[in-house]
Amino acid sequence: MARWRYILITLVCLFALNVASLAQERFPPPEFETDYVRPTTTMPQPEQDIWEYVAAGVLIGALLLAAHLALKRRSRKAIFALMLFSLVAFGFIRKGCVCTVGSVQNVALTAFDPAYAIPIVVLIFFAAPLVVTLFFGRVFCGAVCPLGAIQDAVLIHPVRVPNWLESSLRLLAYVYLGAGVLFAALGAAFIICQYDPFVGFFRLGGNWNILVLGACLLLIGLFVGRPYCRFLCPYGVILRQFSRLSKWRVTITPNDCIKCRLCEDACPFGAIRAPTEPWPGKEYKIAKVRLAFLLLLFPMLVAGGAWGGYLLRDSFARMHPQVRLAERVHLEESGEVEGTTDASDAFRTTGRPSRELYDEAAQIGRRFAIGGAIFGGFVGFIIGGKLLALAVRRRRSDYEADRASCFACGRCYEYCPKEHERLKLGEKAVVART
Amino acid sequence: MNETTKQPDTPRSSVALQTARNTAKVAGAFALIFLGLLVANFIGTAVIGPRRENKMAAMRALLREDPTDEKLLADIRQLDLRIRRDRLWRLDFARKSSYALLGSVALFLAVGKLAGVLERQGPRPGHVADRSAEQIAESRHARWGVAAGVLVLATAGALLLGLQGPLAFVKAEDSGPPYATMEQKNHQWHRFRGPGGGGVSSLTNVPTAWNGESGAGILWKTAVPLPGKNSPVVWGKRVFLSGATEEKREVFCFDADSGQLLWRGDVPARAAVAEAEIEVMEETGYSASTTATDGRRIYAIFATGDIAAFDFNGRRLWHKNLGIPESMYGYASSLDTYQDRVIVQYDQADAEAGKSRLYALNGLSGDVVWEAKREVPNSWSSPIVVEVEGRVQIVTLADPWLIGYDAATGTELWRAEVASGDVAPSPIYAGGLVMAIEPYSRMTAVKPTGQGNITETHVAWQSSDLAPDICCPASDGRYVYVLDGGGLLLCSNIADGTKVYEHELRDNFMASPSVVGDKLYLLSEEGVMHIAQLGPEYQEVAKCELGEACFASPAFADGRIYIRGEKNLYCVGGGRP
Repeated sequence: MARWRYILITLVCLFALNVASLAQERFPPPEFETDYVRPTTTMPQPEQDIWEYVAAGVLIGALLLAAHLALKRRSRKAIFALMLFSLVAFGFIRKGCVCTVGSVQNVALTAFDPAYAIPIVVLIFFAAPLVVTLFFGRVFCGAVCPLGAIQDAVLIHPVRVPNWLESSLRLLAYVYLGAGVLFAALGAAFIICQYDPFVGFFRLGGNWNILVLGACLLLIGLFVGRPYCRFLCPYGVILRQFSRLSKWRVTITPNDCIKCRLCEDACPFGAIRAPTEPWPGKEYKIAKVRLAFLLLLFPMLVAGGAWGGYLLRDSFARMHPQVRLAERVHLEESGEVEGTTDASDAFRTTGRPSRELYDEAAQIGRRFAIGGAIFGGFVGFIIGGKLLALAVRRRRSDYEADRASCFACGRCYEYCPKEHERLKLGEKAVVART
Repeated sequence: MNETTKQPDTPRSSVALQTARNTAKVAGAFALIFLGLLVANFIGTAVIGPRRENKMAAMRALLREDPTDEKLLADIRQLDLRIRRDRLWRLDFARKSSYALLGSVALFLAVGKLAGVLERQGPRPGHVADRSAEQIAESRHARWGVAAGVLVLATAGALLLGLQGPLAFVKAEDSGPPYATMEQKNHQWHRFRGPGGGGVSSLTNVPTAWNGESGAGILWKTAVPLPGKNSPVVWGKRVFLSGATEEKREVFCFDADSGQLLWRGDVPARAAVAEAEIEVMEETGYSASTTATDGRRIYAIFATGDIAAFDFNGRRLWHKNLGIPESMYGYASSLDTYQDRVIVQYDQADAEAGKSRLYALNGLSGDVVWEAKREVPNSWSSPIVVEVEGRVQIVTLADPWLIGYDAATGTELWRAEVASGDVAPSPIYAGGLVMAIEPYSRMTAVKPTGQGNITETHVAWQSSDLAPDICCPASDGRYVYVLDGGGLLLCSNIADGTKVYEHELRDNFMASPSVVGDKLYLLSEEGVMHIAQLGPEYQEVAKCELGEACFASPAFADGRIYIRGEKNLYCVGGGRP
């Protein structure tokens, strides 16, 4: 039955998307032959500011509640209920916007473009989860983020992702973060929003390709827990680092770990770390040499990444609409392409000489040369750091939720016999401190 | 995970589990039903919809042919209503069904999840072994995993580099502005009568012997699809012409080496033009104006007031109508270019009507960069763009004013009252003087350096020896050559306008004389090219017959002459220079 269930879900999701895209179809207005005057198109009024602040208030409330449920009450059911609330509230009601994940770009833009003033609500959506994470770990991911919630809701049959694959796939999130910041900072695009895979579901319609991407992620999410959160989420990358520093953290056991191994497979996101033993003697020597080699490799990876990013400057610059327009206009003028685009037509109606456009685009291209090098250097830094981290063996005596990877979803609590004991005795949980 | 031993399968037959499973089955069945309905709806939309749209398009086409067919009109309305009703119904159906489908899927997921929880077996871990070796191996694999990730990223970057390449416009940064400079134009034949509109070329390798009937000296000959009195324009390996009838207007581009027609660019009629009755003289035709190029684009204007720009690949960049010109014999002024602007002398109606303009249009968009109002009636002469003492001027001639404009802004610099009547010959600039002809009356030489009305102060000389009605003058800087329609050639001193010689050619002429190297080229209506030595006396060098009537002035290029006959375009000269 399980196999048929998955096949059915696959088909249903795909066709549901198809239908959603069909719903966007429209046809031209009738050709009236009378003196009927078509009404002018009206745009809906922007949402009142007050609702933006209400949303920010709800976010903060949800974050604090999530922290309470995950650390003090230790209730998976309550966390799940809050997760569903967040899915409805921040996903379907607020249509996935303002999105905390996407707010990274607003912050990047405001840092590099003095003409852009970031709205206070966006700043709250960006900063509040970070502040809460600094105190309580990634409770935002576990119970408040609608993107995480929609994936968590479809997770039926989790399978374990091999460590080597997890390590390499996680690089994507760093690359995505770097690219998102690069393109936002240089005013090219908000790619994290453009390629938000689930916003189409929240809005019951959207770009076909993005809907397909979202459907694919949800299909993968049936078996692989939260694939977007683990391997792509750029905000998650920042939260990982903040969570490492959190004052309090989620623990599997409410008090002492008895190493019963019952929780070993409890986490569908591969965030539980088993106790480790010291390096065996022979391995220790090899590990030291390896570490030395990787330390030497580290600056080369950073430099190589920067060089690669610099080489890709033109490809990056093409993400900027002004550069794309300049390239299009040039291709049209040199006769290398046929036809015009709406953008090139609009440019020509301005009467501006194309020389000006080329100069502007070349200026932007030069900024991308610097930005590309920084981006490439960042990617090299992350890769080098990751390799170093994998070359170092950390001592652990208990089964622990990895502080960076744990979403604070609370699934592991019920696997711990000490938790059952605690609940039976009605004791309060001891919140682990750093 | 591998070391964890699971309990043997002991299926729970609890009511909750069974209920969850059965509900999942029902929800799945509903999902399938809604899915089927949506697929059917989708097929209906994708197949039936376009069929009806095509039928509608065909019926509309029929109605355009016969707008009085009331029955067809009623059928169209009926079909239109059906299409709209059907599409609205299908959209509504798709929306409702998708909600139902999503609900079914949500229920299926919820009870499936519940069933999964109820089915779940508790872990039963076995013996705790030393996992050091396994953890070391995991770390090693993870490092290789990261290395593989690096490889994938590097490959993706290399592919991106290889596929996209550098930004093309950055390379173009050093290739100069998006138009040819005046220096570049001086080496081409970019407008009527070449650079400066004076019919002058410094080339010395232009042919002096050919015969159209035998084909001797003719590199190629290609039929021109539509008639026109305009002259060839040459830029590099492209030769441009335009042609038009009452119904059609086109621009033609020929390969300079082979004569192959590379492309035909259609200039459609605006609705007002299509409905208007435009009267032109047969001698003028609908396409008397010669095209012009700025080295990037070719511009053409027609007797209907339609003006269009094409790139060198034949893609129409823009097209507009300047208003149907009120021209007694039909609009005939040729275009010129300044930077990336196309210059249009649009003289029409009476001077009192105030309709005459000089336009500078943006070559990229067709937008008016500047326009100058002109107090002149319709004329048939063409503007010239010339550099005088470091300043680029546009000089125009019409009854009664010879006017110099600043090319950059359109500001009038000077004017001289030198002509009257129906002015067709264009002015020329040579030896520091602008020569202007008042048909059948006089030729006046003006120093184009003053400000305001310079009639009294800057006229260098006037001559009444010969003043043709159509042909423009030509000058080598020492002598001015004037040719009238009846074949009388007059040579005068440029310094003072005194007559040097007269010579009767005994042919009829509409094409203007050309000064090429040290020779004078005079193309008669009968297609005979009279070639003479420049100088104080007429010395015939050759007479070459084309065998076809010619009304347009020829174009000169490196080792070649391009001549438009009544029906064919000829290239006289050798192969690839």
